[in-house]
Amino acid sequence: MKRGFIFFILLFSLATSGHVFAQSDIESRIRALEDVLKKQAETIQAQQIMIDELKAEINKKTEVAAAPESKEKQTEVQTAPKAAGLFGGAAMSNPNISLVLNTYGYSSNLTTEEVRNRSIAGYTTRGIDRRNGFNLEAAEVALYAPVDSFFNLYATIPVTDDGAELEEAYFVTTCLPRGHQIKGGKFKSGFGRLNSQHSHVWDFVDAPLPYRAFIGDEGFSEKGIQYTYLLPLPFYAIVGVEALQGDNDLLFGSDAASGIHAYTAFVKASLDIGDNSTILFGPSVLTGKTKTDTVAADSDFSGDTTLYGLEFTYKWQPSKDRGFKIQSEYLLRTQSGDLTDTGSGLVQSLERSQDGLYFQGIFKQANWEFGARYDILSLFKDDYTLAGEKQDWGRRPWRASGMINYNFSEFSLLRLQYNHDESDVTGKPNDELFLQFIFAIGAHPAHKF
Amino acid sequence: MKKLLISFLLVLVLTTPAAAKINIVATLPWIGSIANDLGKDKVKIKVLVKPSQDPHQIEAKPGMILAARNADLLMYNGLDLEIGFLPILIESSRNNRIQPGKSGNLDCSQFINAIEKLEAVDRSMGDVHPLGNPHYHLSARNMMLVARGMTQALAGTDPENASFYRANLASLEGRMQKKQSQWSKIPLRGRKYIAYHKFFEYPARDYGFQIVDYVEEKPGIPPSARHISKLIASAKRSGASGILTTAYHGKKEVHALAQKTGLRSIIVPHDVGSAAGINDWFALMDAVLKSLE
Repeated sequence: MKRGFIFFILLFSLATSGHVFAQSDIESRIRALEDVLKKQAETIQAQQIMIDELKAEINKKTEVAAAPESKEKQTEVQTAPKAAGLFGGAAMSNPNISLVLNTYGYSSNLTTEEVRNRSIAGYTTRGIDRRNGFNLEAAEVALYAPVDSFFNLYATIPVTDDGAELEEAYFVTTCLPRGHQIKGGKFKSGFGRLNSQHSHVWDFVDAPLPYRAFIGDEGFSEKGIQYTYLLPLPFYAIVGVEALQGDNDLLFGSDAASGIHAYTAFVKASLDIGDNSTILFGPSVLTGKTKTDTVAADSDFSGDTTLYGLEFTYKWQPSKDRGFKIQSEYLLRTQSGDLTDTGSGLVQSLERSQDGLYFQGIFKQANWEFGARYDILSLFKDDYTLAGEKQDWGRRPWRASGMINYNFSEFSLLRLQYNHDESDVTGKPNDELFLQFIFAIGAHPAHKF
Repeated sequence: MKKLLISFLLVLVLTTPAAAKINIVATLPWIGSIANDLGKDKVKIKVLVKPSQDPHQIEAKPGMILAARNADLLMYNGLDLEIGFLPILIESSRNNRIQPGKSGNLDCSQFINAIEKLEAVDRSMGDVHPLGNPHYHLSARNMMLVARGMTQALAGTDPENASFYRANLASLEGRMQKKQSQWSKIPLRGRKYIAYHKFFEYPARDYGFQIVDYVEEKPGIPPSARHISKLIASAKRSGASGILTTAYHGKKEVHALAQKTGLRSIIVPHDVGSAAGINDWFALMDAVLKSLE
C-alpha cells in the first residue's frame, strides 16, 4: 500500500512537472521544431539540386564513357577549379596564338618601278613598297599569355617576303597600384591613333600621307619603356611617357646617338555622349636625335626632330549592325640640323617645319563598311629652309581614297579601295586600286576601341 | 613645368576619395541585378553592356576601362561570352585587384555546371563556345549557385558586412525557391520550339521543353537561304509551338520564317532591361516564361 502510494506520488509529480514544463515552453519548442524542419527542407532542396546536377554530370559522363580517359577526366573535373573563360581555357603550356593573313592585289596606272621610286618631294625620299599584281603585306603571328600574376607578355611576328621580323615583343604589368602601368620591350608607340594599332585593323589598306611623310608606312615600333597612368577622374584620361631607343629611319635613325635618343609623351581623353556615342582625343609629342638619309636624295641629315600630333575619333554605334566613325589626326614635324651631300661632302643647314592631316569617315551597315578619306600635306605649315634659303616644293601634296569592305565574319574581310594620289607634285598622279583580304585564325582578337 | 605636372598628379592621387561602398563592375545586366539583390545599399554597381548590345560584339570603350579601373569586384558571365572585350579591358584597367586569379575577378560561370561543352572545335563551326553554352542566366537553378558564389566574393571583399550579404542571400534564395515552384507549374513540359540562337538550352533543361531546330545553321552565323527553305519545309512537321529569338538575334529572319510557316514568332526578353518593366532578374524570368506559354 505504502509502495503503491509512493509510486502514485512519483507518477503524479512526474506527470504534473511534465505538464507544467510543457505548458510554459510548448510554443518555443514547436517553433524550434519548425525551424529544424525548415532547415531540413532547405537542406533537402539544396541536396536535390546537387543530386540533379550530379545526375546530369553522370549522364554526360556515361555518354562519353566509351572514351578510355573518361575516369581520369571525371576526377579532373571534380578536383581542378574550372577554367575561367577569360583566356579561352587554353592549356597552361600554350600561349594564345593567332595568325593574321593580310594580302592584296594591286593595280596602278604607274609601273611598279615608278611606284617604288615615288617619293614626296621635300618630305621623304622613301618610295612605296608595292608591286602591280599580288602582294603579301604579312602573315602575322601573334602570341600572348600572362607570364605570372605580375606581367602579361605579347609578341607579334609578321612574316613577309623578306622573312620574319620581330615587330613587337613586350611585357605589360598587371600588378602595379591602381591606375599605373609599365610596358617594356619592343612595342608600337602610344603616339597618335593609327600608330598604336596594327595595320590589319586599320580602316584602309595603307597609311595616310602624313604617316608616310613623317613616320613611315607601318607606324613606328621601338625598343624602350612606356609608363602610363589612368587618371582618377570622372572621365577617361590617360597620360603616358616613353623613352625609346630611336630606330625609326624617318624620325630618328639608330646611329643618331650612342644611347637612348627618342622620347614621347601623350594624353588621351574620352567622353561618352549618351549611350551610343564616344569621342577620344588628345595630343602627342615626340622628340629625338636624328641621323637619316631619307630627307633628300644622296644626302645625310643629322640634327633634331620634334613631331606633334593631335588625334580625334568619334564613334556612333546604335546597334551591332549600324555605326558611323570619324577619325582624324594632325601631325606637325619640325627638324633642324645639317644636310650633308654624300657625293661632294657639302654641308648645309636645314630647317624644316611641315604639317599634314588626314580625315576619314566610315559608315557601317550590317556586314558592309563604306569609307572615304582625304589626306593633305603642308596644310598650315610649309617651311623648308636650306642654307638660309626657303625652298618652294610647288603645290600641296594630297590624296583622296574610297573603300568598301565586306566582313564575312568577325575573322575574315574583303576590302576594295581606290586612291587618287597627287602626292608627287612634279610627277604623274597615281591612281591605285587595291583588293585586300584579311583572315584571322587562332585566339580571339581583342575589340579595342 | 615638370614640377607643375608632378604636383598636379599628386593632388589627383591624394584627393581621390576613399569609396565607402563596394564598387562592382558587372558586364551584363542580369549580373548587376543579382549583385544588387545581395549588396543592396552597401554596393555601387556599374553595368558595362547595355541590354540593347550584343556582348559578343562590343568594344572595350574608354569609359568601360575607367569603370574597371575603379572596381573592387569585377563580375562577368564567363565561358568566353565576353572574350572580345574583357581580356583587353582587364589589362587596360590598370587595376591589380581584378586581374585573373585575384579575388576581385569573379567569373560567375565557375559556380554552374555548363552544358554543351565541346571537345574539338574550330571556327568553321561558327561562333562556338568550347567551354560550354554561355547563356545560363535564364535558370533559377543556376542563379541560386551563382548567388551563393557572389555572396562569398562580396563577403571576402567586404568582411565587415559579410553577415549582411549572407542575410540577403538567404532571403534571395527564399524568393527564388518560391518563384521556382511557381515557374515549374507553367505547363511547358514537352513543348517544342524552334530557336534562332542556342540561347534557351538551360531553361529547356529546367522546365522540360525542347528546342527541335535552329534558324542559325551555325551559332553566330546568319542562316543561308537554303537553310531557311529547308526549315520552312521541316517546321510544319516539327510540331513546334513557336520560333524563339531575342531582340538582337535575327528578328528579321524569324519574322519572315514565322510568316512563311504560320508559326508564332516569339521575341523572348534576353536580359534585364531588354523590355519595359523588366527591372530585375525575377521580372526577366517571369517575362521569359510568360512569353513561352
